[in-house]
This record gives sequence, C-alpha cells and structure tokens, in this order.
Amino acid sequence: MNRRMTRDELLRRGAIGLGAISVPGLLAACGGGGGGGGGSASSSQKLNKVLEFANWPYYIDTPMTLKAAGINKPTTLKQFEQKTGIKVNYYEEINSNPEYFAKVQGRLSKGEGIGRDIIVSTDNDRFLGDYISNHWAQKLDKSLIPNIKNLIPAQQHPPFDPNRDYSLPWASGMDGIGWNEKQTDPVTSVKQLFEDPKLKGRVGVWNSMGDTLGLVILENGDDPANVTDAVFNRAIARVQKAVDSGQIRKFYGNEYAAVLEKGDLAASMAWSGDIANLGDPKIHWNVPTQGGIIWTDNMLIPLGGSVPTASTYMNFMYDPMISAQWAVGANYISSVKDVKSDAVKLDPKAGSNDLTFPTDKTLSQMHQNDPKMLTNPDYNTKWLAVQGQ
Amino acid sequence: MLWLTLFFLVPMGFLGYQSLQSGLFPHFHFTWEWSNYSHVLRSNHDGGYRDQYLRSFLYAGIATLACLVLAYPLAYWIAFRAGPWRNLFLLFIIAPFFVTYLVRTLAWLNILADQGPVVRILRDIHVLGPNGRLLATTFAVIAGITYNFFPFMALPLYVSLEQIDPRLLEAAGDLYGSSTQAFLRVTVPLSAPGIVAGTLLTFIPAAGDFINAALLGTPNQAMIGNVIQSRFLESLDYPTAASLSFILMATILIILLVYAWIVGTEKLTG
Amino acid sequence: MTTVAETLAVPPRPSVASRVWRFVKRHALTAYAFLAVGYLLLPIAVVIMFSFNHPPGRFNYVWHKFTFENWIHWNSVLGIQSAIEKSLEVALLATFVATALGTMIALALVRHQFRGRAATNLVVFLPLSTPEIVLGSSLLALFLNDQNTIQLGFVTIFIAHVMFIISFIVVTVKARLIGFDRHLEEAAMDLGANEWTTFQKVTLPLLAPAILAAGLLGFALSIDDFVITFFNAGQVQTFPIFVWTISKNAVPPQVNVVASAIFLVAIILGLANVVWQYRAAKSTRGAGA
Repeated sequence: MNRRMTRDELLRRGAIGLGAISVPGLLAACGGGGGGGGGSASSSQKLNKVLEFANWPYYIDTPMTLKAAGINKPTTLKQFEQKTGIKVNYYEEINSNPEYFAKVQGRLSKGEGIGRDIIVSTDNDRFLGDYISNHWAQKLDKSLIPNIKNLIPAQQHPPFDPNRDYSLPWASGMDGIGWNEKQTDPVTSVKQLFEDPKLKGRVGVWNSMGDTLGLVILENGDDPANVTDAVFNRAIARVQKAVDSGQIRKFYGNEYAAVLEKGDLAASMAWSGDIANLGDPKIHWNVPTQGGIIWTDNMLIPLGGSVPTASTYMNFMYDPMISAQWAVGANYISSVKDVKSDAVKLDPKAGSNDLTFPTDKTLSQMHQNDPKMLTNPDYNTKWLAVQGQ
Repeated sequence: MLWLTLFFLVPMGFLGYQSLQSGLFPHFHFTWEWSNYSHVLRSNHDGGYRDQYLRSFLYAGIATLACLVLAYPLAYWIAFRAGPWRNLFLLFIIAPFFVTYLVRTLAWLNILADQGPVVRILRDIHVLGPNGRLLATTFAVIAGITYNFFPFMALPLYVSLEQIDPRLLEAAGDLYGSSTQAFLRVTVPLSAPGIVAGTLLTFIPAAGDFINAALLGTPNQAMIGNVIQSRFLESLDYPTAASLSFILMATILIILLVYAWIVGTEKLTG
Repeated sequence: MTTVAETLAVPPRPSVASRVWRFVKRHALTAYAFLAVGYLLLPIAVVIMFSFNHPPGRFNYVWHKFTFENWIHWNSVLGIQSAIEKSLEVALLATFVATALGTMIALALVRHQFRGRAATNLVVFLPLSTPEIVLGSSLLALFLNDQNTIQLGFVTIFIAHVMFIISFIVVTVKARLIGFDRHLEEAAMDLGANEWTTFQKVTLPLLAPAILAAGLLGFALSIDDFVITFFNAGQVQTFPIFVWTISKNAVPPQVNVVASAIFLVAIILGLANVVWQYRAAKSTRGAGA
C-alpha cells in the first residue's frame, strides 16, 4: 500500500486550497487598498462635501492656541465648515519635503491622485519646483479665488510659479536660534552655536539643507541668495567641523522643539513659529546676529484633487480677518496685505508680536535661499554625507 | 515555493539591475554602471561609505558579543534552575517583542534622558562626568541594538541548553573537579548549535539596523542602514542605494559561508 | 576488589569557603536572571506608565499627572485607528496565507525526496539570513521597476510580509515534523483510512500546536514589522509606520496606549498558553505513559 502521499498530490491539493484562500484575499486587499487611495487624474468640476488637506504640524490655529491668545472664536477650519458646509479632513502628515515627495511620487508620476486636495511644500527646497515642473500640480481656479487680490506684492511672482497659477502661500517662517534658558545662557549667533564648548553635544540643526546652510552661509559673511561652489564648500566645512567635534547632536526634522523642551538640547536652530507654538516660557527664540532666512510654504493642488473645493478653501483663507486669526493662532507669518492691523482687532497683543508680524527691521535681517543651490545634485549628496548618510 | 522564487530571488535580481543604473530621478538608464560599486566603497573622505559599513559590522559585532555574554547565564538559569517557572520566564524573554520595535526604542529616550533619573544618578556617583550623557552616544546605539536583539540570542541558547542531558553535566562535574572546567569543556561545546544560531540571528539583522542609530545616536554613529534608507526614501538615488544594499547582502553572505564552513552546514539549516 | 573500593572512596569534604562560594554562585545566577528579566521589561513598564501620562503640551517626555483620558479617547489622534486597523488586516491575511504555504513546504521538505530539495532548503533559509533592510529595499526595487502593474500600497505590503513570514513558518513546522511519530499515521492507515483522511484526522491535529505556534509567531512578526513595510508601503500607514512618522514630531500618549494594548493582549494569550501547557503536562503525567 502506498502510504506516502506523492508530492504532486500534496501540491495539487494545496494549490486548490490556496487558490480558494488567496484569490479572494488578494482581491479584497486590492479593493481595500485601491479604493482609499487615488482617483483618476481628471478632477470633477463640482464642489466636494469633504476637503482632504495634508499639511505640516503646528501650522494651524487650534482651540488651545486661540484661547491662549484670548480669541473667543471657533478655529478657522471650523468656520470654513460652518460657512461652506464642506468638512475638512486635516492630516498633519508632512514632516519633510523629500520624505513626502518620495511617498507620493509613485502615484503622481503615473498620473494618479494621492487622495489629497491640498498639499503644502516649501520654497527653499527643490521639491516645490519639481511638483510644478513635473505637471503634478493642477491649476488653481482663480475665478473661485477673488481674495487672491489680497496677496502681498512680495509673493506675487515667485520664480517657481511666476503667475501664481499653481500655488498660493500658506505660511512664511523665519529661521533663527532657539534656546532653553534652564540649560544655557542666551545663544545669539551660529558661531556660538557651533563653537561654544558649554553647548557641546547639545546643539541641534535641521536636516534641511536650505535652512541650515543658509544660516551658516550668513555666519560666514556670504550671501545665501547667490551660492557659488566656494561659498557652499565653506559652509559645509564649517558644519562638518561641528559634527566631527561632537558639537552637533543630531540633524532634526520637526522634532527638535520637543527635544529642546525636554532638555536634551540646550540650543538649536529653530523655526520662529515652532517656538511660539510651544508656549513654554523657558524656550526663547531670536534672529541670529548675522541674519536669518525667511521661507514660505505653499499650497498646491495635486493631481486627483478637487480644484473647485481646494480653490474655495484657499479663497477662504485669504480673507483678511480669517488670515489674521490664523496667524495669531498658528504663530506663523501670513501673506495677506495689512494682516497686522486686522490681527490687532482680534488680539491687541498681536501688535507687538515680532515673530508673527515681523517689523520691517526684522524683515530686513532676513534673506532667501538660492534656488540653484537647492537643485544641485552634487550639493545634495555632500549635504547627506555630512549627516553621515 | 513559487512565491519565494518570485518575491525573493527576483527582487534580488532587480536590486542588482538597479545598482548598475545611472542617472537622476526619475529617469534612470541601465548602463552597467560598475562605478556605483567602487564609488560606494571608497573611504568617506572621497565620498564613499566605508565608514558606515565598518561601523555597522563593528556595532553589530559588539552587540552580538554583549548579547551572548548577557543572555547565556539567563538561558542557562532557565534551562536548569527554573523548574516549573520555565515557561513563564520564556514568556518574559519574548515579552519585549510584543511592544512595537519603535515604541520600545523610544522608551529608551525617556529612560536615558539627559535630565532623567538614570543619568542623574550616574553623574552623582561619578560614572559620568558633570556634563556627561548617555543618549546620542555610541554606547546608547550599541545598548539599543543589544536590547532589541537580546531575545534572538537568548531563545536559541535556551533551546540547545535545554536539550542537554543533565546527567552529562553531573558526569562532567564528577570528572573535572572544578565546575568552571566542567562548564567550559562540556556545557559550552554541547550548546554550540545554540551559540551558532544565536550569533547569526543577532548579528545579521543588527548589521542592517538603522533605527537605533537614528533615534539614539548622532551623525557620527550612522550605520549603513541609515545610508540605504535615506538614499531610497529621501534622495531617491536608487542606483546608489541598490548597490549599497547589494554589497551589504553580499558581505553578509560571505560571512555566513565562512561561518558555515567552519561549523558545518547542518547545524544551520537542519 | 579493594582497588575498586579505593577508587570509589568518598572525596574529601569541601571546605567552608568553597561551600559559601557555591552558595553564592548558585544564588548569584538566580539573582542575575531576575535582573536580566527586569532589564528586559523596564522599557515596557515605561511605555505602559507613560500611556497614563497627561502631558502639559504636545510632548510625552516628562511625567506630569495621571489620567485615564488617553485610554478612553485612544483614537482621538488622527490616523492612529486606521493605522492599527491596517496592521491587523495585513497581519491576519499575510499570516493565514503564509502559514498555509509554509506548512506545505515544510511537509514537502521533510517527507518527500524530490529534486531541488537541498536548493529549496537553502532558498527558504535565505530570507532569514538577510537583513530586513536588504529584503525591503530589494522588493522596493522590484516594485519600482514594475510600476505599471503594481503600485506601492496594501498589496505590496501584503506580498512582502508573506515572503518573510514563510521562512519562519517553515523552520518552526519542520522542527516539529522531524520529531513526529509516524506510527500513529501508520496505525490509522492500517485501520482503513485513506491518505487524505489520515492527513485530516491524524497528522493535522497532531501538528496543530506547531502550526498554531508558527502562525502566532508570523502574526507577531507582521504586526511589528517596520523596516520592510516602510520601504514598500507608499502612502499606506501601518501602526509601526505611523509611530515613525509621528515620532518626527512628538509622540502622543495614545501611541503608548495602542502599544500597551497590543502588549497586554499578547501577554494574556501567552500566560494562558503557559497555564494550559502546565495543566496539559500535569494531565499527561496523571494519565501515565
């Protein structure tokens, strides 16, 4: 009697059983995965009931921050929902420009949507320009954005989008130095950050090239808007020295603020709004003595997003009073004209808030990055190398 | 079987294919770009990644050794002294696995915080200098790797120790007057399969790890895993990333083959 | 005969010092074992403790005060619920498929001689000997090259997980199979059962504990997997990926809550298993061999 099942029989029976299990499983998986994600590349012309908005963290007014500012109104998101009936799904899922780009480039490069109507990308990184030049951003419906007339002149013709066909500023912010008064005396310059022995191993910088190198270039006395190889190499060498000596603890994304508060960092390069948002009186921020960098995060409508819905939202945010409330609640700089005078009506303290409503003097200390530096692949590789990557 | 072929061997093929490409994202061309390999192996000063490779193997090696030394007594105790509590302690060993890897490692950020109790005590008893710290150091990264891969060493050790007939140990004790001798000459060789399995299961994943270095270290502790991760997912430089990955895989295979030759293949796959 | 008596003479009584030393050694080992276990469980305790923390701001680094809020409103953090749901979905599906496939491969490898058996043994073992980062990145390379047929997302995660779980399943089930007593199957066949019935009623039930253990191992691996999933997930977020993304910001206590919950469920199952095995051992001893 042949007691042993032949391998063929075993496999045959197994295959039948497997087929029964795995095919519906795979189908279900495909269905589940595909449905949630992208839609077709063509967008509908009607208003959706829901707006899918992907943004950076700490970038919007919340009940907590409004209360701290003494503003007794619902958040701007809530006001939008009440006014238009469109619900907003707000995802704080963007932590770094390259990471987000890598996540979505697969679908976008095939003309598919990513399940978002608005995404936000920074102008001092190459990706904002990439989205637009790759035709992964849809044109705004300006007929639905009459408030676009409120855009300040300085933002009306940026190099990556000269006619503002694809993008609108969401927030501007300033690069400076944050420090924890419990851990150190005031830190006012990049030189101090990199060379003060008392700060050794407790200094943070960003993993974003434009921001970190921008400040270092200024400290070197060069112009960040005009970066030659010599300028770049000087800046990189200075950072490398600080890494080798153990002065720099780590290259952070957004999480430096938490670590600064925790006390593992004594001082760090920091974004103006993050420190304001911490709401912790022992953490301070100032513009470095040699100058700071100013950047702007822009809203884009990716492929598959609903142009009318997104445009309606953008229009809402460009209403001066709404933008003023947002600025006070989010602690970042708005690109709407005369927003400071409106903000003062909501919160008198706003008048003296230099971080959110910078005076001309502060603005004069600000510089912008050279877009050519950001797109140079050789520079990018060197920047990764200094981070040990 | 088909599945494995399809989704294991074929991806390896593609990795090789991609490693020989060149160009910038998103337009890559296959150009037999062997220079990707030589470029990657150059010293860091010249733009290569030798430092990270060497560091990865160094850290993985130290961590594996640490795991061996720390886990052996525990495994021994459970195998021979735990009695009815044996299964419970085995459960304790695997317990860390039930908390997500990332959350476990993040917990160390809390425990070893500069302002936390552990560091403060160490400073008070002068083990650390007045500004000393534990986080963002090589120590933290290696300690993290050791902690995370401890069960991979402990369990195989336990399995092979448990199979040793206690009478052999008694006999050894009688033969060799000193228990140290008995241990070294009988117990250890008998548990060799466990040691082999444990070291492999610990060293190999540790060499490719990047999470401990990312969360607990400074840029000076970056391992090759960090480089591969950033190349694939941030700078989208697929050809370089693929060649980095391939070299790591090849090196490990070579180490594996050498190990197997010394030890005998059956102990590995059997 | 006297020589035998001489050689069997009782060795001299050990000195007090060496007796004390042996006492210390005996208990030192036990003390060490407890310390080691404590070290293993310390971070877990911290995780659970901080899940009850009510942090003043967004950051959960410093103990502030105790609260049950995080456990009640565990899904108030946007994305955490869908992340854990995705993790569970993938884990269940992948474990099921991998266990089925893996068991069959194990059976084939142990019971049958076929050409390519050695090669299969090797190929099954290879994923275990490859660092996760290499596995993840090679699959990514595959999927990227083939972007017209397959898109990064749930399906790619599923495929990746099945791939690395199969190896673990095969190794576990094989170990059990090797020590399997064929006599029971032979007896069944002698009594008239055909091969399929024997498989169903004798082999499978006897293998069940091993298959179950392998399946549980696979499930745990899938839920916890970060590196391979990270490389192949595209926009989909499983729980570990969610934790990584949000740790770039600040980790809300709800993450601790979910992690603790998974831990508690697993520990309870584990304890139940320990107790069950203890009882089973007692009963077999009672029944007599």
